Parts: sequence; C-alpha cells; structure tokens
Amino acid sequence: MTTNRKGALLPAEGGAQKGIINFAKQALKQGVFDAVLIPSRVPAGDSFAYFLIRNEAVLEGASPLSPIMPVQGARVISSITRLGKGQKRIAAIMRPCEARATIELAKLGQVDLENITIITMDCPGVIPLSDYFEDAAKGDKVFEDAFQNWNSKPMRPVCRICDKFSSVGAEDLHIGIIGAKSGSILLIPHSSKGEDVLNKMGLSLEEDVNDWEASVNKLTEERKQKRNQSNEGLRSDIEGIDSLIETFSACINCHNCMRVCPICYCLQCHFDSDKMKFSFDDYITRAVARDGLTIPTDTLLFHIGRMLHMSLSCVSCGMCEDACPMAIPVAQVFTLVGDRNQEAFDYVPGRGVDEPLPLTTFEEKEFLEVEQSYAGASARQENQNA
Amino acid sequence: MQEPLPDRRTRMPKILSIDKSPEDGLKEVLRFLLENGKVKGVVTLRKTSEDGAVSYSLITNPDDIESTVPLLPLMPVNLAKQLSRLTLIEAATEPIAVVLRPCELRAFVELAKRTQGSLENVLFISSTCGGVYPLEMAVEGNIREHLPEYWKAVGQGELVPNTRLACQACEYFVPYTADITVSLLGNKGIEEETTLFLNTEKGEAIVEGISEKFSEGELDATTIEQIRSKRKAEKEKLSDEVELRNLGIDEITKIFSRCIGCRNCSKVCPACYCHVCFFETETSQHQPVYYERELDKEGCVNMLSDTIYYHLVRLFHVSTSCTACGQCADVCPANIPLWAISLKTGEAVQKAFDYLPGKDIGEGPPITTFVPEEFAEIA
Repeated sequence: MTTNRKGALLPAEGGAQKGIINFAKQALKQGVFDAVLIPSRVPAGDSFAYFLIRNEAVLEGASPLSPIMPVQGARVISSITRLGKGQKRIAAIMRPCEARATIELAKLGQVDLENITIITMDCPGVIPLSDYFEDAAKGDKVFEDAFQNWNSKPMRPVCRICDKFSSVGAEDLHIGIIGAKSGSILLIPHSSKGEDVLNKMGLSLEEDVNDWEASVNKLTEERKQKRNQSNEGLRSDIEGIDSLIETFSACINCHNCMRVCPICYCLQCHFDSDKMKFSFDDYITRAVARDGLTIPTDTLLFHIGRMLHMSLSCVSCGMCEDACPMAIPVAQVFTLVGDRNQEAFDYVPGRGVDEPLPLTTFEEKEFLEVEQSYAGASARQENQNA
Repeated sequence: MQEPLPDRRTRMPKILSIDKSPEDGLKEVLRFLLENGKVKGVVTLRKTSEDGAVSYSLITNPDDIESTVPLLPLMPVNLAKQLSRLTLIEAATEPIAVVLRPCELRAFVELAKRTQGSLENVLFISSTCGGVYPLEMAVEGNIREHLPEYWKAVGQGELVPNTRLACQACEYFVPYTADITVSLLGNKGIEEETTLFLNTEKGEAIVEGISEKFSEGELDATTIEQIRSKRKAEKEKLSDEVELRNLGIDEITKIFSRCIGCRNCSKVCPACYCHVCFFETETSQHQPVYYERELDKEGCVNMLSDTIYYHLVRLFHVSTSCTACGQCADVCPANIPLWAISLKTGEAVQKAFDYLPGKDIGEGPPITTFVPEEFAEIA
C-alpha cells in the first residue's frame, strides 16, 4: 500500500537518536515549543526517566530511544495535564504505544491534549526492565546492537510481536527511521498540528515517503504473522477456566500490573476498596465450599475484572509484565484478549482521538449474533423486516 | 483491648516430639487439630498448581492437609497482611491455626496493635526460621532442587545460601509470641524428628489428646546465640556491600535513581496498612503549574521526581514497625536493595525508642506513647 504522503528529510549523521534530539533542539530554539518531554538517562546513570526539558544543553543528553520503558509515557502526560491543560506548549517525544495510550487517556478525560504535540518514531522495542537492571552497561549495548539491525529478540515479548511500531495515527508528527535514507530521518506530519510544526520550522514536505512506507509495511506484515502465531500458541495454553487459573496461579495479588498500566487510571481500584474486604465468616464459608481458599483471595477475579475494564484500550506496551514480580505473562495474555476484543468492535486503541471508545457508542445492529442466543426470536424478526 | 499473651518465659515449655520430619510432623498436628474440631481452619502454604506454584490457603477439610507444604521456605506474600484482611472486619469467630514465619508473626502483632486485625481465636505456630528463598526462585521453579541444601544448612545452624538477603541478615529468627514453635535451626535431628515447643497454655491445651511424646525443655540458648552471631556478622557484611554507610542526600538519590514509582514495595509491606496511600490521593496530584514553575527555574524537570520523597515518607511511617521481612525488595522491578534500607532505618529508629516491633503485644507503638523525659538530648 502506498499513499501520497510526503515528509521532510532531516540529516541525522550521528544516528537516529541524535537526529531526533537535533530536531527537538531546533524546535525549541525557534520557539515552536516551550518544552520537550523526552526520556533521558537519570543522573546516576543506571536508568531512564521522562524529563520535561527547556534547556538545550540538557536536551543534548536525552535518549528518545531509551533501551527501557520504566514508566509508560501516557502516565507521564496524564500526571502533567490530568487536572487541566498547562500554559506551556509541550512536544512529547514518545514510542507509538505510549502515544496510543495517551490518546486513549484523552478519550477517558485523563489527559488534555490542547498544548501537547505528540511526536512518535519507528520503535525498535524496549528490553525488559529485569534484563536491564541486572547490568545496565550490558543492557545499553544489547539494545544498541539490536536497534542497528531491527532485531527484536532481546526486547519485551510483546515488542517482538508488535505490529504498531510505527505511525498509527495517534501522533501529530511521526519520525521515520526504517527505510529512511541513511544518515537521515524522515518527518511525517499526521495532523494539522504536526504540519504547523514543520511550517514554523521552515521544513517543507518535499521528500517521498514510499521507501519508508514499504519498509514499515514489510515489517508490519512479518509482525502480524508472528503476533497471530504467538496469540494462537498462547490461546491453546490458557483457554478454559482450569488453564486460566493455572496461568495466574503464582499471582501474589500485588496489583502492580494495574499500577504501571497506562490505561488503568482509577484513583481507587475496586479491588483495593472496602468492597473487596469480607468478614471472617465469609472467608470460612468460601473455604468450606471450595476445599480450601487460596490466600490472597480473588486474584483471578481481579485479572478478569481488569481485563474487562481496559482490554479495549490495551496498547500492548508490556509494562504490566515487566512489573510483575512473579513473571506471569500478563502482557501476552492481555494482548491476546485485547486483540480479539478490539477486533470485535473494529477498534484500534489510539488510532485517532476522534474515534469514540466502543463502550460509549451504542449501535442498534451490533452483535446480533450474540443477542440471537438470548433473544433469537426478536433478532430473526428484525432480520426478516430488514 | 487485646489480652496480653502469656509470657512464655515464666514457665518451662512443654515439648511435643513426633518421629517424623518437621514438615510431616507439623502436618500431623494440623490434621489432628482439624479432625478433632480444635480449630475450624488452618492457614498455611499449599501447592496450588501442577507446576509447583505455592500460596497460602485457608483449609477447613483435614484431607486437604496432605497438599500443604507448611515449612516450604517461600513467602509468596507476607501473611501478616493477609491475616489482617481475614480479621479486619471481625475477629475470628471460630478458632484457627496459622503457620507463619517469625517476621510475619511480629508484623501481625504490630498490625493488631494498630487495630488492623485481631489475635483473638488465632493459634500461632511459628518456627526457628532458616529464612525463605527469593520470589525469583519460585518464578524459576527450582526451589525443590534447593531443599536438601536448605534443610542441611538449617539443621546445622548455618546460613542458608541463596535465601533472601534480608533472611541471611536476620537476627530475630526465634519467634516471640508463638503458641507453638517448631525447632528447626541448629536442630541436628530434623531429618527424622519434629520438636514442637508448646510456649503458651493455649498451645499446650490445643494438642492435648495427640498420641505422641511429651517432655519439658527449652531451646538451646548457646546454639541460638551462635546462629545469632553468624547472622549479625552477615548483616554487617551485606550492609557494606550495598554501601549504606553514611547515607547522605547524594547517596539516597543514587540508590533510588532506578525507582519507577510503582510503589509495589508499599503494596506488599505488612507495615504499610493505609487503605489509601497519601501518594495516591488527589493531594499528591499536581497542577500543571507545579511542573512549569520547576521548568522555568531549573530548565528541566524529572517527571519521576516524587520517588525519593515517597521512599523517605514511607520509611518514616513504617520504620518503627518494620520487621525486615524483605518482601519489598523481592517485588521491586528495579532491584533496589530495599531490604537493606528498611532494615538499617528500622534498626536505628527502633533502637532510639528501645522498641522491637512485634515482641510484646502489650507494648504500644512508640509514636503513641508519650514519655516526658524521652529524648532530652534533642529537647
């Protein structure tokens, strides 16, 4: 598939990261933005965090393609704008899944996008936190090597099967890296905000993006296949209540998957509330009825409840899996469920801010096949009438 | 008001001996308690899946005791936190027996002091504890391979390799308020013998009728002291390794630099019992101007800026009741040596108040007791 999109070519002699930083510096210098939100190495050197940066010298040391994702960027934008839009115009340079989660949070009223310009880039994935924190220096190298060859092997399991690693529509401006001319990056606007940025910077859209698109499409197809394979494999492992219980049997109910999830935005989770505290007699009754009550209780209920709440908006970023102390493949399970739910609603989370959340839109004719089993007669009647 | 538990030092404890390994001996006792209606339920570790996952379980059917592993050296959750859940709304309406580690027992006593649970109707069975393996080992699924090594070291009263660092550095491995103590550490007979110290009248009364041998005696103080010295030496060594000496603001900044702000350390901590943490309230959410002001002043803002604040406040809140179980370090996605930070802070604060958390149910938490002549040097 080719489009007639055009981009602006920018030199990136020191590599894509340097190219992105130079672009951000230039934008700051020209007053297009007041600040840049971008991952940077923490002063101690052994991790990364999002920094809001105005100072060009500080920006010089940023790491737009940090090897890890310690915090999901959507959460960061939410923490700045949840209580209202700020006065500063911010360029948020983030991975596509972070941008998509940001869009979902905007739909959920947890982010104000007015003064935010979202800039994404072709993403090579991130390596798991546990691998990186074992040896940060080694982690840096592993990531750098993998990035050079677009090798997804050392990355998070869900990064390896990510088919939305490039421009997906969430962003105002996308930075093409794959298939861009060597020693350069490609700036591709995706909204009037994005076009505006390039205009103000005096960058004209003269570059053909076909090569980039071809490379992205090729990798997307590969990833889609891998994703389907992976989903199918996992499905046979976890399908059915017994397998599902087994999958989550090591869960210690810490809810860390929920706390690092960009979509789980409730300040007070139902599962942490008094609603989930029961009387002693209740626990005993359940223990008697079930031949023993596993403690902590209700772990599977929590995961299914969470799934029900967020799977339509799940962007498969993998934060949950990285934060799980018991190495449960949470992100892979949620990817499988998310994909199927999203497909049922023909919904891609974060594709566009104007696309409403499926559960907020009622379509009379939707899911007739589901209704049929309950109200077969009336559905058949309707079909006959139609 | 909680009734103070009988002081076990005022009487010579009875000993119940069973000619079985401690795990099997303990299972026999638990089965006896359920079968004879002495307790309604038992809380202990149980295998929950084919692939070896283990979790605490509330068991009411004596037949289910077979699937339990009461002494498996693993702490999936700190049981104090779970016992708090079980007894928060109401005290146990029927007697239950729980098998738990000394640090879990101490943590639960602290929670009971803060009305987050009740000791009423609960029989506490603990052990002289060899420590537990890190959760990571449960994830890898090879705890069973380590068990021969574990029990050998425990019987000889040695440090057990590969256990939690918090456990290797723990000097409070003898339970304080247990009704029954299983003698494990430095007990050379543990391969074929279970030795249970019946510390309280409750502990003594509850096993009445079991057809096993009874005698009198106490834990061997010399052996306990020897093990304690080894643990203390290991604590010094391990604290040196994580370079905790003379922690100033620079070192604190460095040690918490990897924090991802997930606050899982607080979620699994038995001492962190607030239903809503301050750091998760509206008060802790900032208006955009909060960041903008900092941006104007400094030129850049670390968006994970409240992490050190969080850790310091958490230490401030829990340091009088921290029992150094090490759960925080085990669940930290960033491998921060939280066990050492909590242990050292707790130790210093507890020493200043001459208070050992969970030692004595009758002793109020330091912050709730005002002593006019206390800390004259500061006043």
